[in-house]
Amino acid sequence: MFWKLRLPLLLTLFVGAVPIVTFFLTEHTPVIGPAVPFVRDRVESYMVIIAGFALLLGVVSVVQGSIRKIERRRPGWPFAISLLTGLLVMGAFGILSAMRVGPFQGLLTAPDGSDTPFYWMTRNMFNPLQAAMFSLLAFYIASAAFRAFRVRNVEATILLAAAFVVMLGRTPLGEYVFSWLPGGERWLPQVTDWIMAVPNAAAQRGIIIGAALGAASLSLRVILGIERSYLGVKE
Amino acid sequence: MNLERLVHIDRRIIYLLIALGTTIPLLLPIGLPVSSTPPVERLFDKIEGLGQQEVVLVSFDYGPTTAPENNPMAQATLRHCFTRGVKVVVVALFPIGGVTMAGEILEGVAGEYPDLEYGVDYAFLGYKDGAQAAMKQMMGNAFAEVFPQDFFGTDTNQLPLMRRVVNHEQIALVVSFSTNIIGEWWANLVNAQYGTPVAVGTTAVSAPKYYAFLDSGQMLGLLGGLKGASEYEQLLIDAHPELMTIYQQAGIYTAMKGMDAQTVDHAIIMLFIIFGNTVYFLVQRRDARRKQHQA
Repeated sequence: MFWKLRLPLLLTLFVGAVPIVTFFLTEHTPVIGPAVPFVRDRVESYMVIIAGFALLLGVVSVVQGSIRKIERRRPGWPFAISLLTGLLVMGAFGILSAMRVGPFQGLLTAPDGSDTPFYWMTRNMFNPLQAAMFSLLAFYIASAAFRAFRVRNVEATILLAAAFVVMLGRTPLGEYVFSWLPGGERWLPQVTDWIMAVPNAAAQRGIIIGAALGAASLSLRVILGIERSYLGVKE
Repeated sequence: MNLERLVHIDRRIIYLLIALGTTIPLLLPIGLPVSSTPPVERLFDKIEGLGQQEVVLVSFDYGPTTAPENNPMAQATLRHCFTRGVKVVVVALFPIGGVTMAGEILEGVAGEYPDLEYGVDYAFLGYKDGAQAAMKQMMGNAFAEVFPQDFFGTDTNQLPLMRRVVNHEQIALVVSFSTNIIGEWWANLVNAQYGTPVAVGTTAVSAPKYYAFLDSGQMLGLLGGLKGASEYEQLLIDAHPELMTIYQQAGIYTAMKGMDAQTVDHAIIMLFIIFGNTVYFLVQRRDARRKQHQA
């Protein structure tokens, strides 16, 4: 009970409270002042290390999930083999390169000026694959815009008009549309800037404030031990 | 005319037109003119006004997925700093390819300036995981605590530049090239807590959310997508015409060339939207007439 529940809760309370409390204190604070920078700096240093473990946790989770998928021959299991192979090969090359073991001398360029094996794989395999995945978005956006942007009601019409202005205003084409009028070449870009800086910023601000309040309340619940699901405790 | 076929047009036709609209302008650049906007001008003016001993922290917070948008803005900003003689410290906080992007871009741009000396004019500290914790620690306490060694394995404190750059107090400006939330953290954590001016160069998809930080003063400038990058390139060429030779090289990818493709693609999308709505109206009118006849 103590090791699995109370100790993690106490650690969470301490680690979570330090950045909040020390934010309001300085080394000139009476009594505890001298300890403030020491405790704050230590905890913040440990956070960088703990963040590294989160990456490790992600790798372990991917490996476990992929192995399960292959064992049970779930749909798409050959892709799991490909994923694991890529993870292990790139991971091994990356670690060996970072540690400068044998022919793996550095992450980018070897001492003789040639590309390291890790960088060769990054440049010729990893980068093009990643870029190809993201570039598919352009095709889907074009197709989705054709199907979704319909003048069905007032709201959809406003959205469509705003999208049209922004799409035009964010390209040199927008400057040509009214360029036959004096000063007209700046009209659409200026309307685009206004849409982005006023209605868009207002909506984004609401979303950001809402998300921040949600994050703050969840953090408080975790720090105070009210939210315990991350410890595997069922409510 | 079979309106149903037009409504349900084969999406492969759209894909083909987008592919042509992207590749043809990239192979045969049109050279459309680019005009600048205030969020980009503010970042440009800030760097243009920095002294030669001042330091800009450049954070590579993106990976290869968004390189066509982020690379040109990172290259243009680094070129601007190096042309002006401003010192640069480079870090990477994005886990999926951020450090290789940073290394590649820095090596390429620094190679254009033979007089630059590594460790004196610029430093590359490499990658650190846990972006928020890392930026808090390096800006609040010391760069050397988060990056005891630079990317090449040299002790950070042995680099002459890093001996005088301890934390946020020596940083005149932070520029984050970001694809996700990391750019936002530079604004709401580093600017909010230490007051260091922050500018973000991000993808067009992510740019809208940054306008709230721009409006609140938490961000000094914003390069939004390829358009922002092309504006910066144009400002750079206008202010430093000697850089025109770099941007006119055949085979080099620049945001200004990319804008040609983006302009054509936007035009194709808009034409499809107009076409889609025209067909939609025709179908609506036809259905209404049929109902009238049936009634």
